[in-house]
Parts: sequence; structure tokens; C-alpha cells
Amino acid sequence: MIAAALLAVLVAMALVVVRALRGPTTFDRLLAANSIGNLAIVVLALFGFLTERPEFLDLGLTYALLNYVGIFAVLKFFRHGSLGAEAEADKP
Amino acid sequence: MIDLVREIAAGLFLFAGAFFLLAGAIGMNRMPDLFTRMHAASVGDTLGVSLMLIGMVFLAGFTLVTVKLVFLLAFLLFMGPVASHALAAAALQAGVKPLLASERTKKPSGKRKPSSVKGSGKP
Amino acid sequence: MIETAVTIILLLLLGAVTIGIVRVRGLFAAVVLLGIYSLLMATLFIVLDAVDVAMTEAAVGAGVSTVFFLGALSLTDTVEASAKRPQIMPVVVALVTAGALLWGLSDLPEFGSPNQPIHSQGADYLARSIPETGIANVVSAVLASYRSFDTLGETTVVFTAGIGILALLRRRRGEGKS
Repeated sequence: MIAAALLAVLVAMALVVVRALRGPTTFDRLLAANSIGNLAIVVLALFGFLTERPEFLDLGLTYALLNYVGIFAVLKFFRHGSLGAEAEADKP
Repeated sequence: MIDLVREIAAGLFLFAGAFFLLAGAIGMNRMPDLFTRMHAASVGDTLGVSLMLIGMVFLAGFTLVTVKLVFLLAFLLFMGPVASHALAAAALQAGVKPLLASERTKKPSGKRKPSSVKGSGKP
Repeated sequence: MIETAVTIILLLLLGAVTIGIVRVRGLFAAVVLLGIYSLLMATLFIVLDAVDVAMTEAAVGAGVSTVFFLGALSLTDTVEASAKRPQIMPVVVALVTAGALLWGLSDLPEFGSPNQPIHSQGADYLARSIPETGIANVVSAVLASYRSFDTLGETTVVFTAGIGILALLRRRRGEGKS
């Protein structure tokens, strides 16, 4: 049961990677990156249950946090052209 | 008995989650433009992932693992829409620039063609 | 069995993403693909039972280095410059590095072999670390006492990197003011 679910998640991950590689715009790739982060969390959790050591779910929380930090960093960059006010002040 | 019920419930939730994840992933490849693809991806990211996590809650029982799973679920449910909104807003803002605008005028925006996956690969 | 299948699938996806990184021209897309690469790599580390490395890979690869790359992109151009003529030197460097890594790989103990040093010498350190060094924590004893020169080298590397970054940052800020 868990193995079947794990295989399904991996197939979904492969499809999303295909979108990330094809994606015409960077936003498509970003969307795919977000999805891959979520799927990685599911793979991690399922693998923990598969090997009967589900204590590593803290890693999943870390993944989720880091995933969103990365996504928002890229998106902020796109909206403002920089990561913060300091780089803004450097421009003449 | 109760273990059997738990296993069956977990299996059902995992199956439903796998179905939605696969549907979202297939939709991400079949949809014609970015915003429809976001629509498909959010199916997998919210419904699929949360159903999977609920299924694992049934597998774990009342342990610390369940608490972690619930935290993860709450976090994903809160952050998923925020990330989608930020992505759509940034994409809309970049749409004024030729990068996204040219890409979108090339494709039929709006109407969905069933053969768009094969059609976009050939030329 | 299923673990092998998961490993193989993840490795195939990693290969595909790597080819994608090489082929893509826009640097933003490359940064996003690198983030995807790190997420897949961290998942692979978890499947291979290296949880601490997975944590580091996720934190450094998907989190911090994405932000660093974006900071670098905000200072430079965002589209890769096309090479005028074929570049030989990077290929040579990559091939030599890969060869050295493969050569070093052949010296590693066999996977799961009972003769590897971690199984034969761990108990030895556990027994003699307290009388020899007086440090209660065995990991600290190994790091700071038995491998002290190694640790000194690591600290030197980190220190040098910090000095280099400080020097670069100071120069930039001075130029911005003038």
C-alpha cells in the first residue's frame, strides 16, 4: 500500500520535472519547483513509514519552510528587481 | 479489528491522495498556459498532499509523528495559497514585459486544445 | 527492492534536471532548476539513509544558495553570454575532476561490508577516549583531539572564506559611496 503510493508520487514527480524542463517561462519552472518541494515532503514521509522509521518528519517541516523561502525570494526578485533595499541603494 | 479499519482508512486516503497528485501532475503537462497550469498544480499541492498526510495520520496513530504531520498539514494549507497568489501576482506583473507576453500570445490563451501538448512540441 | 526502484527513479530525474540546467540559457531558469536539483538530491539522501546530509543539502542547496544566486544575478546580467568559440578548458577541468572522484571512489570500503573501519575501530575509540583525553563526549573527542589537525584545516578554510567575503563586500560598498 505504502509502496504503491510512493510509486504514484514518484510518477507525479517525474511528470512535474518534465514540466520544469519544458516550461516556457521561468514561472512555469517555479511552479514546478514548488510542486516538487511538496512532493519531496510526501516522498520523505512515505519513505519514513515504509522503513518504519517515521521520526524524520522534522525534515519535512524544514523542507516546507525552505521551499517557501526559496519561492518567495525568487518572486520578490521578480517583482522588485532586487532582494532588498540595500541593493536598491547601491544603484546611482 | 480497529487496526484493520485504520489500515483500510489509511489505504483509502493514500489512494485518493495519489489520484489527485497524479491528476495535478498530468494537468501541469496538459494545460496550455501558466495560470491554468497553476490551477492544476494547486489541485495536487493542496488536495493531494493533504489527503496523503491524513492517510499517514491514520497509519501513525496517536504519537508524536501525528503531531508533526498535523503541523506539516497546517503549514502546507496556509502557505500553498499564499505562494500561488505571489506567483500569480509576480507573473502578472512580469506579463507587461515581453518575456511572458510573447510566450502567451504564441499560445491560444483561454480555449483549451486537447492536442496542445503534441502541437507545442513539434514546431 | 522498492528502495532500489526509488533510488533509480530519483537518479534518472536528477540526470534529466542536470541536462536541463546545462541546456537552458536564461539564468533565472537555471537558478530555479538548481533548486529543483537540490530538492531531488535531498530526497535521494533521505532514501539512502543520510538524514543529516539531506538536511544540509536542503538548507544550503534549496534555501541559501538560491538566495545567493539571485543576489549575484541582481548585480550582473541575467542571460548567459554565448561563447564565441568552443571552450576546451572547462571540459578538461570537469573531466579531470570526475576522473579524480571516480579514482577516489575505488578506494572506499565496499557498501555494507563488515570489514570497513567504522565497524572495527568504533568500540576502540569509545573505550579509550575518556582515559586518554578526558572529554566526556566521544564525538567531540574525535573531532578535537584525534582529528585535531583535520579540524584545524577545516577552520582555516572557513576563516579564509570569511576573510575573502569581507574583503569583497568592503570593496563594493566603498565603490558605491564614491
